Amino acid sequence: MDVMTETRTHCPYCSLQCGMSLQRSGRAGIEVREWAEFPVNEGGLCRKGWTAGELRGSRERLTTPMVKDRETGELRAAGWDEALDLIADRVRGLQADHGKDAVAVFGGGGLTNEKAYQLGKFARVALGTSQIDYNGRWCMSSAASAGNQAFGVDRGLPFPLEDIEQADVVVLVGSNMAETMPPAARYLDRLRERGGQLVVIDPRLTATGERADLFLQPVPGTDLALALGVLHLLDAQGAIDEDYVAERTTGFDAVRTSVAAWWPERVERVTGVSTFELRELITMLTGAEKVMVLTARGAEQHAQGTATVLAWINVALALGMPGKSYSGYGCLTGQGNGQGGREHGQKSDQLPGYRMIDDPAAREHVAGVWGVAPESLPGKGRSAYELLDSLGDGGGAKALLVFGSNIVVSAPRATHVTQRLESLDLLVVCDIVMSETAALADVVLPITQWAEETGTMTNLEGRVILRQQAVAPPEGVRSDLDVISGLAERLGSPVPFSTEPEEIFDELGRASAGGKADYSGITYDRILAEQGVFWPCPAADGTPHPGTPRMFADSFATPDGRARFLVQEFGGAAEQPDASYPLHLTTGRVLAQYQSGAQTRRITSLPDQGAFVEMHPMLAARIGAHDGDPVVVRTRRGEMKAPAKVVTTIRPDTVFVPFHWVGANRLTNDALDPSSRMPEFKVCAADVVV
Amino acid sequence: MTESSRTTSARKRVVVVGSGMAATRLVEELVGRGATTDMDITVLGDEPVAPYNRILLSAVLEGTHRPEALTLRSEEWYAEHDIDLRLGARVLEIERDLKDVMLVDGTIIEYDALVLATGSIPTLPPIRGLVRMDGSLHESVHAFRSLGDCERLVDAVDATNGSGEKVNRRAVVVGGGLLGLQVARALGARGIDTEIVEGGEHLLHQQIGTAAGKILARDLKKLGVAVYTGARAVRLSDATDGPGTGLSGSVKVPDPLPRNPGRVALRLDNGFTLDTDLVVLTAGGRPSTALARGAGLEVKRGIVVDDRLASVTDPDIHAIGDCAQHNGRTTGFVPPAWEQAGVLAAVLCEEPAKYDGHRMVARLRATDLDVAVLGDPEQEVLNGGEVVEMSNPVRGSHRKLVVRDGRIVAGALVGDLNRIGLITQHYDRQTVLGPTEPGDLLLVERSAQPVQLPDDAEICNCAGVTVGAIKACSSFEDAREKTRATTGCGGCASTVRQLLASRSSLTPEGIK
Repeated sequence: MDVMTETRTHCPYCSLQCGMSLQRSGRAGIEVREWAEFPVNEGGLCRKGWTAGELRGSRERLTTPMVKDRETGELRAAGWDEALDLIADRVRGLQADHGKDAVAVFGGGGLTNEKAYQLGKFARVALGTSQIDYNGRWCMSSAASAGNQAFGVDRGLPFPLEDIEQADVVVLVGSNMAETMPPAARYLDRLRERGGQLVVIDPRLTATGERADLFLQPVPGTDLALALGVLHLLDAQGAIDEDYVAERTTGFDAVRTSVAAWWPERVERVTGVSTFELRELITMLTGAEKVMVLTARGAEQHAQGTATVLAWINVALALGMPGKSYSGYGCLTGQGNGQGGREHGQKSDQLPGYRMIDDPAAREHVAGVWGVAPESLPGKGRSAYELLDSLGDGGGAKALLVFGSNIVVSAPRATHVTQRLESLDLLVVCDIVMSETAALADVVLPITQWAEETGTMTNLEGRVILRQQAVAPPEGVRSDLDVISGLAERLGSPVPFSTEPEEIFDELGRASAGGKADYSGITYDRILAEQGVFWPCPAADGTPHPGTPRMFADSFATPDGRARFLVQEFGGAAEQPDASYPLHLTTGRVLAQYQSGAQTRRITSLPDQGAFVEMHPMLAARIGAHDGDPVVVRTRRGEMKAPAKVVTTIRPDTVFVPFHWVGANRLTNDALDPSSRMPEFKVCAADVVV
Repeated sequence: MTESSRTTSARKRVVVVGSGMAATRLVEELVGRGATTDMDITVLGDEPVAPYNRILLSAVLEGTHRPEALTLRSEEWYAEHDIDLRLGARVLEIERDLKDVMLVDGTIIEYDALVLATGSIPTLPPIRGLVRMDGSLHESVHAFRSLGDCERLVDAVDATNGSGEKVNRRAVVVGGGLLGLQVARALGARGIDTEIVEGGEHLLHQQIGTAAGKILARDLKKLGVAVYTGARAVRLSDATDGPGTGLSGSVKVPDPLPRNPGRVALRLDNGFTLDTDLVVLTAGGRPSTALARGAGLEVKRGIVVDDRLASVTDPDIHAIGDCAQHNGRTTGFVPPAWEQAGVLAAVLCEEPAKYDGHRMVARLRATDLDVAVLGDPEQEVLNGGEVVEMSNPVRGSHRKLVVRDGRIVAGALVGDLNRIGLITQHYDRQTVLGPTEPGDLLLVERSAQPVQLPDDAEICNCAGVTVGAIKACSSFEDAREKTRATTGCGGCASTVRQLLASRSSLTPEGIK
C-alpha cells in the first residue's frame, strides 16, 4: 500500500508560481491539491495548475535519449553514455576547428535558479563560449532593462503582489492578468471592493479589461505615446509631486520639456485613445494618493519596449510613487522563473547575482567562487535573437544546446529561425516531450519535469520559492543538472559540476553575494519556514537578514540613490500598416495554454481548439468572413491559416493570434529593441483574407 | 572673412529664422539624426522666451494648462546639443549674394542653408477705431498669437478694481474659427460673458457645413456664449451711456452688468452694437513673408517652395510651416508644419526625401465642445466623394464622413466624437473599408445584450466549469468544493451566485 505523501511545491507554469500540494495517486500519478497557506495564490489555481499532474505518465513523455541519423533523418533510441559521448565528441571537434564560440547554449525562463546558474557556468567554464542566452529576452527583458536604467536594479515587482489591493489606482499597461495568471486577479477584485480603481490599457478588451473602471484601447505599439501624453497632462495640471522629484530623482527637467509637445489631441491621433478618455485617466491619477503602474508583455514586447516602460516609469516617478507604500512601478513577469532566470548568468552579458560580465570586479568575484582564473571567462555574447539569427549559415555558432525552450514555436520570424537551426552541424535539445524544436535535433535528451526534481524559482515578486520533488522520475529520464555535469566531465571541465540542487544553490548564493540580486542569506530551510524569501538577502553574521519584500523606501539602487528620469521619444512600431498589409497584428496567450504549448497542448483535459484569428465584426464584414470561417493572415514574413473568431472586444483595425501554436511567430517581426534586444512580437503589419 | 573661407568651411552652417513649432521640430529632427556632429545650427527667435507650444495657449487661457508646461525645449537643451539659440533676435534682412542675414542690432550671421520658419502674423480685421492714431492697438483689444498676448489677456481677465471686483466682465471674440471658439470657450470658463462675431454664415464655415454649424452654435449658447454669424464688426468706439452715441439706428444689446469705465462699443454691420470690456481678435493670420519678399524670393500667399521645401528662387533657402506655400497651399496648422520639418531635416542631411502634402485633422481644444474636422470635406465632395452622414439635432450631433473608393478622405464630426480615435486612424492610414463600415463607424456602439446562458456554456474559465455543473451544486461552497469554480481569478463569483439563486427560486420546494 502506498503511503500518503503530500509535497508542497509550486505550479510548473507562470511567474505567479502558485503554491500547490502534490499527492501521489495510483502507481505513478500525482494529484494537485490546494495549499491554502501560501500567500500569493492562497490556494487558488487556474485550470492549468489543477491539471498540471496529467503530463506525468503521458505516453508522449520522452524516456530515452534519441540520436538522429542524418542520412535518413530518423531518430533512434540511444543510451545516455552514447548520447553524451557523441555530443562531447562533436563539440570538441567543432571547437577545435572553429573556436570556442562555435558552440552556443540556449536556456529558458522556466529553468530553476540552480539550472540557470549551472548553465551559465557550464557555458563559460566547460565550453568556454560567450554564446549563451535564453528565451527570457522574449519575455520581460524590456522591463528589466528599464528597471536597471531608472532604479539601478531589476526586480519585476519591488513589492509583494498583495500590495495591489491597498492602492488607490492601479494602471495595468498591456497585461491580461485575469487570463494569463488568473489567481492574481483576486487582488484586482479586492482593490475594487476596497474602493480602489483599476485602469486597463490593451488593444483588446480582455477578461482583465472587463474588471476595469477605465479601459483604454490604444493602437498596438502606441503605449509609449500614451505615457508621454499622460505625463504632459499631469504637468499641465500641476499634478507633479515636485518635492519627491527634487529629493528622490534626477533628470526631470529634460523629461518635462520633452513631453510638452504631447498635447491630448496629438495623443488621440497617434494612439486612437480619445482626449476624453485620456482626461478621465488624468482625473483618476490626480485624485489618488497611491498609484501603481504595472506593465506586462503588451507594453514591453516592442522594438521600443524599453522606452515604453521608461516612459511609464516617468509617469510613476512624476507622481512621486516609487518607494512609497502600496504605490510605484512594477513589471508582471511572464515565465515561471523569468525573474530568477535573468539573475544568475544564462544571459549573454551577465554573471550570477545580476552582475555584468564586462565588470572586472564581477569577473574576479565569480571566477573566485568557480575556482577558475578571471581572464579565462569569455566576454559578452550575442542576445537571444541575434544568437539564433547567427547560427549555422548566419556565420555564428555551428552547434546549439537547448535547455527549456521550444524555439521553433516561440522565436519571432520563426521560419527564418527554423532554417538557421536546420543549418547547424549539431543541435541538442533537452525536453520532456518531442517538442517542435526537439524534432529538428540531432540529439534529444529526455529530462525530468517539475514534480520529479527539486530546485528554487524566483517569482514575479522577487520571492525565492522552493519546488520540491514529489515523485521519482520515469526510468531513463535525467535532470538538466545531470546533463550539464555529464557533458562538463566529458569535455574535461577544470572544475566539477554538482548535480545536487541544494549544494548548487549554496554555491549560487556565494556567487551572488554582494551583487544586486544577492541570495547569499537564503537557504532551503528558510524558504520553507518563511513561505519564500525576497531578495536581496545577503548572508549576515548573527541576526539573519530578513529579505526585502519592499524596495526603494529610502533610496534607489543607483550610485547616488536617486531614481532616473530618462527622456523617451516616440518612434512608433517598426512596421506600419500600408496598402498591402493594412492591419495591425498582435499576439498573446489564452488561459488554457502556456507559452509554446509543449506541455499544455499535451494535457487532454485542457481544451485545445487550436489557433484562431480574432477580429472585429466590422473587419469580418469587410473581408467577408464569418465566425469560424478559415482565414489566412499574411505578413511580410509568412502566413498562417486559422478559423476567424469574430468578437466586438478587439480594435477593428487589429487582429489577434495566440502564440501557443506553430504559425503565429512565422508572422511576427524580428525588429529588436536597441537596449533589451526584445523582438517586436506585439505588433506588425498584416493582411487577412478569406 | 575671405570668399574662400566661406566656401571651404567643412561644417555646414544652418541658420533657422523663427523659434516656433516648425522651427523647434526641425531642430529636434536634426538632433535626432545626429546632424550636429557636422552641422552648426543657429536658431534666431524674435520672442524673448524659449520655444513653446503655441497651440496650447487657449488651454492656458482656460486655466487647464500651466504656462510652464508649454515650454518645448529649454535653453539648456539647445546648449547641450551645441545649438546656438538666440532669443529676442529679429532678422532685418537676408543678403542672398553673400549668404548671410543681418539682425536688427547689426549682427551678421552667415549660412550655407537658411530656413525660414517665420510663421504667420495675425491680420487685423477692417474695424475702425481698432488702431489708435499712434498705430498701437486700442487698449481693450487683444490679439491671440503669442505667449505674450496670452499673458496680457489673462492679466486683463484677472484684473480687479480697488474693491476686489473684476474689472473686465464681458468679451467679444472676433472670428468664429477654431481659435475663436477655443478662446471664447476659455473666456467663458473663466467667468467672462462672451460673445462671438463671425462674418461667415455659420461657425467654422471653412471646415463644416451649415447643419453642423448650427448645432455648434446651440452648444455654445448652452455654455453661455452668444454667437452672431453673418455679421462683421465695423467700428470700435468708447462706450457711452445709452443711445445717441452717434451710432444712429443701431440696436443696443441690453447690458445688465456693472459698468467698467473702460468699456467699449463694437458695432456690427447688421446694426447691433455690443458693449464689451475686451475685444479678442482671432480672425485669421497671413504668412509672415516680409523677409522673403525683401530678399526677392518668389512669394504668393506664402513663400513658394518645391518638394524639397526649397524656395523656387533660391535652393539654399527653405521655408516650412505657416509661412510656406507648397503646391498652391499654405496651412495654418501644426501637423503639416511638423511633417515639413521632418522632410526638411532629411533634405538638409542630404537624404532622399520629398514633401507631398499632408493629411489634416483639426480638433477643437475646448471643454464640452466636441468638434473634429478631417481634411477638407467641402472640397472632397466636389472631388467626387460620397457623403455618409448622421444627424441628430435632438442630441445635438452631426457626423459626416466623405468616402471615395472605400477610403475616408474627409469628415466633420460635431457634438459626438464617439470612435474618433478609430476614424482618424482609418483616415490617416487610408484604410480601404467595406461598404457598410463608414455607416457603422457613425452608429453608436451597442452595449452587449444580457443573454440566457445555456447549460453547456463555460462560466469559469480558470477551472473550466459549465453553467450546468454549477446548477448541479447545492450552494456556493459546494460549487467551490466540487467544481473549483471561483477559486482561480474569482471573476465568475457573482455569476455563480446568480445561477445558484435563480436555480433555488425555480425550485422553492427543493430547498427545505
